[in-house]
Amino acid sequence: MKRRSAKVYLLSLLLLALSCLYLFPFYILIVNTLKTVQETGFNPIALPTRLYLDNYIHAFKKMDLFVSLRNSFVITFGSIIGIVIMGSMAAYPVVRVRHMTTRLVTLYFLIGFMVPIQTALVPLYLVMERMHLVNTLQGMILIYSANCIFSFFMYQGFIKSVPLELEEAAYIDGCTPWKTFWRIVFPLLKPITTTVIIFETMWIWNDFTLAYLFLHSNSKTTLVLEIYKGVGEFSNDWSLMLTTMVIVLFPTVVFFLFLQKHIISGLTSGALKA
Amino acid sequence: MFLRRKYLGTYLIFLLPALIVFTIVRIIPLVLSVRYSFTNWDGISKAYDFVGLQNYKELFSDTSIAASIRNTFFFGVFNPLLVTVLAIPIALILNQAMPFRNFARMSFFFPSVPSALILGYLWLFIFDPTDSGVLNRVLGSLGLYPIAWLAQKHLAMWSLIAVSVWKSAGWHACIYLANLQIIPKDYYEAAMIDGANGWQKFRRITFPLLAPAVSISVTLILIDSLKIYELPFALTKGGPGYATTFLTQIIIQTGVFDRMIGRASALSVVFVVIIFAAAALQLALLRRREENIQ
Repeated sequence: MKRRSAKVYLLSLLLLALSCLYLFPFYILIVNTLKTVQETGFNPIALPTRLYLDNYIHAFKKMDLFVSLRNSFVITFGSIIGIVIMGSMAAYPVVRVRHMTTRLVTLYFLIGFMVPIQTALVPLYLVMERMHLVNTLQGMILIYSANCIFSFFMYQGFIKSVPLELEEAAYIDGCTPWKTFWRIVFPLLKPITTTVIIFETMWIWNDFTLAYLFLHSNSKTTLVLEIYKGVGEFSNDWSLMLTTMVIVLFPTVVFFLFLQKHIISGLTSGALKA
Repeated sequence: MFLRRKYLGTYLIFLLPALIVFTIVRIIPLVLSVRYSFTNWDGISKAYDFVGLQNYKELFSDTSIAASIRNTFFFGVFNPLLVTVLAIPIALILNQAMPFRNFARMSFFFPSVPSALILGYLWLFIFDPTDSGVLNRVLGSLGLYPIAWLAQKHLAMWSLIAVSVWKSAGWHACIYLANLQIIPKDYYEAAMIDGANGWQKFRRITFPLLAPAVSISVTLILIDSLKIYELPFALTKGGPGYATTFLTQIIIQTGVFDRMIGRASALSVVFVVIIFAAAALQLALLRRREENIQ
């Protein structure tokens, strides 16, 4: 055993070096927010020579940080609620009741699984225009909520493993399906709900394409859109641009660090089950 | 089940919210896409004409569209391939018990956390074509000449693929890792007794038993690859020329910004057909692989 440990240590040092190399782009990102434009232009790889925080002061002044943070939060939160409630509710009868309709519904939802939303963006825009939901947060929540079909399939797999006895007892005691679902079944779905929340939060919070197409005014901007706006405004000032990116990334990184165990295990086990 | 027949109506109410939202956001636009693809509508005027297959005929004579279909295929083959080829060894290494393992897992996973747009702009900075750009400085210190990474036709595509693989390989390694952890240890012990070497163990035990993870990972990455939009949006804007223009970019450009609804819809329909064909092909291949193993 002793003889092997030297080899293991060597390998693990190699792994450490590789990990650092993998994270190198993020080192570049952070280091250059702490330099003047001249210093960045002169040497983008070196550590800053002194502590320089003006980029952050400028970036905070130029961004609508409060507005975009609030919008990102409202959109993500609203959509997640929709996705969790609608997906779990729809999955319940489909698992528990064997009937033609529930089988047809599964097939119908499968279309959405196969065809990405990108294929029908243009008519979607026209539909949203007709409903006066373009450039509104409600509109974004509606669009993202349609992802409930993904959570539907994840819930479906999970509900199958929930024992029937509890529900049977509830029905005998005279509970309606509505009460049985919310009081008994839904609390048992907590593990898969966590996975759904993490999965969908990462997608919605980071999404650029849909926000870019459907939100136009400054008061409706999201955090990711701030980056895009920044490219137009601070073109050539990479220091300021990278600083905006760090600020926008900050909540995501906090989310990741707090939930990393859940994220990695949840995403993978969710994927393996689905 | 007998208890619940009388509640069938209530159960339909459970389905209703998801059905309504899904139909409005996904199905109606899809149906409209097919309908508009036979018209010359501009999205604004009240009247439009049905023009039969004209939009479809025009698609294949447009050089930018032909290029975007080619590029989508190219990216759809090489991105999943390289991600898989990298993710499996990463998973095997991360499955070993050794110091720094958790840090390594986090590091490899982390690039899949931020928005693709942010990563695209970050790499735009790293690929800076002047000799003071990050990557060119590294080349310079090795005594090499600076390279215009994103300005040459093939290099731009490969740079894009490299960034995309870097972003997703760790995520997919985690899918493989979860699968590795459920392979029974007995198999390896038996193989060790039989005197199998490392490669034989991988070839005969690990790889065949990774089949579920392969199916999931490849399915996910294939669909992600075909609908790529944000990374090239930030990194190359589709250029140089049409070297990194993909179907999604053309659909959004012609449909939303140029308001050529008919043409964009026809292209959307072609896109759906491509996705179905790719999914069917991949399913057939994976199924054959699983049968071969059995």
